[in-house]
Amino acid sequence: MPCGTYKEKPMVKNSWSRLLLSALMLVSIRASAQDPEEILEKIDRNLAPESFESYRKLINIEPDGKSREYLLFMVKKGRDKVASVFLSPASDKGRATLRLGDNMWLYIPDVGKPIRTTSLQSVVGGVFNNADILRLDYHIEYSVKELKQTGEEYVLDLQARSSNIAYDRLRMTVTKKTLLPTKIECFAASGILIKTLYFKEPKVFEGITRPTVIETDSPLQRGYKSIMVYASIKTREFPDEVFTLTFLPRVETLR
Amino acid sequence: MKPFAALLLLGIWVSHPLTAFAQTDYEVDLSKIQKEIEKKPYALSGFLEFTPAFLGLDTTSKLYQAQLAGTDVGKTTGQYNFRLRPEASYQKGIARLYVMGDGYLKNDDLGWSGKAKLFQGYLSLKFRPSAAADIGKRVARWGKGYAWNPAAFIDRSKDVTDPQEALEGFSMLSADITKSFAGPLQTLSFTPVILPVTEDLNSAFGKPGHVNVAGKLYGLIWDTDVDFMFLAGASRSARYGLDFSRNIRANSEVHGEWAWLTSGERQATMSGLIGFRYLTADETTFIAEYYRNGPGLDEEEAQNLYKNIGVGGSDNQSLQKLVATQNLMHNYLYLRASKKEPFQILYLTPEISSIINLADHSFQLLPGFTYNPVTNLQLRLRTALLVGAANTEYGEKQTSYRLELRVRYFFQKP
Repeated sequence: MPCGTYKEKPMVKNSWSRLLLSALMLVSIRASAQDPEEILEKIDRNLAPESFESYRKLINIEPDGKSREYLLFMVKKGRDKVASVFLSPASDKGRATLRLGDNMWLYIPDVGKPIRTTSLQSVVGGVFNNADILRLDYHIEYSVKELKQTGEEYVLDLQARSSNIAYDRLRMTVTKKTLLPTKIECFAASGILIKTLYFKEPKVFEGITRPTVIETDSPLQRGYKSIMVYASIKTREFPDEVFTLTFLPRVETLR
Repeated sequence: MKPFAALLLLGIWVSHPLTAFAQTDYEVDLSKIQKEIEKKPYALSGFLEFTPAFLGLDTTSKLYQAQLAGTDVGKTTGQYNFRLRPEASYQKGIARLYVMGDGYLKNDDLGWSGKAKLFQGYLSLKFRPSAAADIGKRVARWGKGYAWNPAAFIDRSKDVTDPQEALEGFSMLSADITKSFAGPLQTLSFTPVILPVTEDLNSAFGKPGHVNVAGKLYGLIWDTDVDFMFLAGASRSARYGLDFSRNIRANSEVHGEWAWLTSGERQATMSGLIGFRYLTADETTFIAEYYRNGPGLDEEEAQNLYKNIGVGGSDNQSLQKLVATQNLMHNYLYLRASKKEPFQILYLTPEISSIINLADHSFQLLPGFTYNPVTNLQLRLRTALLVGAANTEYGEKQTSYRLELRVRYFFQKP
């Protein structure tokens, strides 16, 4: 039997050969297995191009069913540049936000100048905060602490790369086949669950298929729910000067 | 109907459950959203406002004695204030025309009064994201302070009790030139401004018959916003300023502002401000600012001013100064705390702020809350309490308290 022959005739006969083979096997295992950081980066690219423009609707739903809607135009460039402006309702029209890495500013038309804000604050109230709305790629803000596989899914345990990030830890459940998240649980440094995001209703947007609806609830705001609906997302390149305080009052002119 | 009756009725209406707006479930209709995001070249928006107010007057104060003693106005009085502030814009290619108007009507014991103004009206040309120019009436809003902006050289003074309100602008020609970089210096912007003053144009700015030049250089360096600004021209004395703002942690920010006013009609002086903003985990925001008001009065000068009020009737200069000046003396402290959505009540923000004159220890206390019961309707209930002994800034104001309910309805088309 060839197999038996194989066992009886070892391929390596000296220690140098053994070392070389071990090294080759290690490289092979590394190449065939998915690198967790690469998986996270692929998830980011499946959710959005690196530079894009998008229209989103935010909906806050109260326990008695009352809802409030906000329409948002958002642009992003590269690793850490995001700007957005509210198009409606009238009470929030023209409110614009800029994020450059950990720096965030809010521009209110009546105030007439940008003021610094933080990722934990909420521009519109409800369960979503600034970090959810002006989100950078997950692989920029988080590193993979642990990757588990459960049948059809990966579960990624993500750790914030710095203390300036809104959530200290994320537990991301991802469909293996599509490499798209279905659920993300967001934890504070104390271990308390702050909120859970549910990704629903995938749709094709100019080259990418991603969930159109992100629903969120929070044990800290029981009965309240916020929904983010992607109406459009498409690749678009911008000059760096779009992402500056000087340009922030003019962001709406990019439409 | 008296203002307090109007306040009561509005309070009852606001607290009534708005079941007519209730929905049990939400359905996402993408085609409806697609229609909403279609861009039109024009836009119309703004708000209508009604503010009934109830005022308690300090009949022993110097201002009451000088202005209202002997009239029918008693210890309390009411006001009805109506305001319309429409905005319109039209965009074509690189050009955008923007207009903001402001009209108000007031009814009180002295009858009806009102005024309509163009707050802003300018043409904006965006040649590219790094180069744009504006011509017309607009606000610049320089400076990083929340309550005060000593370096806002080409703006009108803001109301320290309502620092986030829109201001009327000045007519000017300005440009924005911006460059982004990789490295510690991320952004550099230069904003040159030409501001002419004649008898008919910008007459509130300063002496007429001059063309003033101003400029601001902005940089984002090592994650810190830094501005240098100047104003040169004969309408006002030349002045130079700088400001900065930086997040020292994810939930806290520090800012400062400094201005050097060269000698003109009065002695050269410096003004400055240092401020701090802190956000707690449960979304309570604290703001504290210390303001050194260079042109303000020292204690002896303030006492002379109070002594001279009433001498020479309503044209008296001391009286005019106390009425017109928001910050009479040198040293002030501003404190503010606001809590977003307490007790899980969405769109409710209770807040309290205080402006303290550190020299004479008189102060204003402003507790209140803002609530948006339905989309585009905003209510603000607020009290202003003015506390101070005789011969102090807030002790000698006409009003000892003011209770007001501001109802704003925002509109937008399309």
